[in-house]
Amino acid sequence: MTQATETVLAHGVGGSTDLPIPLNYALVGGVWALILTFAVVAVAWRTPKFDPAKPGRALPGWVTVAVDSPILRGVVATVALVGTVWVGVAAIWGPQNADSALPGAFYVLLWVGLVAVSVLVGPIWRVVSPVRTVWRLLRRERAENGTRGYPPRLGYWPAAVGLFAFVWLELASPDPGSLTAIKIWLLVYAVAMFIGAAAFGTRWFARADPFEVYSVTVSRLAPFRRNHQTGRIVIGNPLDQLPTMPVRPGTVAVTAVLLGSTAFDSFSQSKGFRNFVDRNGAAVPLLGDSGGASVLRTAALLFFVVAVGVSFWAAARATGGVTREQRRELPGRLAHSLIPIVVGYIFAHYLSYLVERGQETVVRLADPLARGWNLLGLDSGDVVYVLSMNPALLWTIKVACVVIGHVVAVIAAHDQALRVIPVGHQLTGQLAMMLVMVAYTLTGLYLLFGG
Amino acid sequence: MTRLSLIPIAVAAVGLSLAGCGSPSTPSAGPSETTETSSAATPSATLPVGAPNTETVITVTISGGVVTPTNAEEQAVVGQPIVLEVNSDAPDSIHVHSVPAHTFDVAARPDQRFEFTVDVPGQVDVELHDLNRTIVTLTVRPR
Repeated sequence: MTQATETVLAHGVGGSTDLPIPLNYALVGGVWALILTFAVVAVAWRTPKFDPAKPGRALPGWVTVAVDSPILRGVVATVALVGTVWVGVAAIWGPQNADSALPGAFYVLLWVGLVAVSVLVGPIWRVVSPVRTVWRLLRRERAENGTRGYPPRLGYWPAAVGLFAFVWLELASPDPGSLTAIKIWLLVYAVAMFIGAAAFGTRWFARADPFEVYSVTVSRLAPFRRNHQTGRIVIGNPLDQLPTMPVRPGTVAVTAVLLGSTAFDSFSQSKGFRNFVDRNGAAVPLLGDSGGASVLRTAALLFFVVAVGVSFWAAARATGGVTREQRRELPGRLAHSLIPIVVGYIFAHYLSYLVERGQETVVRLADPLARGWNLLGLDSGDVVYVLSMNPALLWTIKVACVVIGHVVAVIAAHDQALRVIPVGHQLTGQLAMMLVMVAYTLTGLYLLFGG
Repeated sequence: MTRLSLIPIAVAAVGLSLAGCGSPSTPSAGPSETTETSSAATPSATLPVGAPNTETVITVTISGGVVTPTNAEEQAVVGQPIVLEVNSDAPDSIHVHSVPAHTFDVAARPDQRFEFTVDVPGQVDVELHDLNRTIVTLTVRPR
């Protein structure tokens, strides 16, 4: 950690970024988003369709037995813990330069991989979380009597702060590729998790661990869920499960951080913003050139997050025929409908990172100490740049992810509007939300197009 | 162009399930064709005589702690040479965030020439390390 600082890398992991999508892809995507939105609103069903209480199609009994098996859960948790230790060894004793596996493991495998796995199978972080596993090992004998219980009014706010801290490090800090910065971040994260758990019990992990809340949030789109009447694991329409996103203080903030930061990531690579930061970074007092640039990026990141949060909050409340009390509850009750947009945009933005930087990271982890081990026969020649080599395929996937995410969000918002907005205001009451979602999607496409 | 691309988008919009976002389809072209161009920083003399010259040349000046240009945008082509012509009054180093990555040491003298190729399409930042500036972003397109 005493070597010269690493160079500032895009997202801290280096390499190139995706080619911008061509204008015609962005336009076609935008047109589809508009058409399908109005189709949903115009031809819409008038009674709510989606219901978390629907039984779903039960999977074979052994699936439920396996998922609930303490032994299997213990094995999975142990494997995850060993993996964490492995990354830690590579981070501390491995190469301390751009060849380190840590940034890739942190920014790509953890941040993007967690979304992919959670969307496919469910809230996996609850099982694999290394902080939960370590906490369980430390506290095995003692019951949690000394804890005060988690204050409900905090809700997901600690996790929203943690998620913002993550995206700040990746997108706005002075040097996202700095191994020292990542190690400090992880240390602070671990300490915050353990102190919180000591004070509030394990519920702290469910509310405050940014990765757990991230995982739970996107897992509302998973095809698998548990039928709470029978306890069986079932497969069913993700739209039935989507409304099970818990409504707590901070729910909207969590989704706003995720969507706003991804949009800022595109925006911050634009020439105009880079020039602005370069010209004005030195003008920020006391902090020097790179510190000043970081302050400007932080302000812009915060602006994006707040813009998403406030616009969604305002759009959700923009309906007639509700009491003040009901109006206050509306943003939370509609928050789940933002999840498909978040997931679609995250895949559009980071899929190539997951597939390609992910492979590079796995190759580095196969040789954690840079001694030429090449475990499992992996070396850098094995990395397949399948998406970058086929830009048309990548562009199609990106636009499809954005448009599909948008349409699912619109469907979910419409269905929920039928539940929460009184009859007579249902069409006008969801208008603002539809317009805001269209605005998010068109902005997202514009940013992917490259401005 | 717009009409042509409607078809893949329409197919994708209908055909891709939600989960499909996470799992890329099979590639149409193998990546193996990149390996033949992996000999980075070869002089342009190895190009076949008479081949269309798609060389990208960027002139960089570092003077009095200021680099010109910054945040420029240039086009380039996979496997084709990209040349940085550097005049500098201070030592520094240039990092090319491509696949494969390149690092060049800049000396305090005029008329330095750094040549490299990029194997994987994408947007490639060329950064000046000590001055902490992006010189140019190369949009590297497939051949």
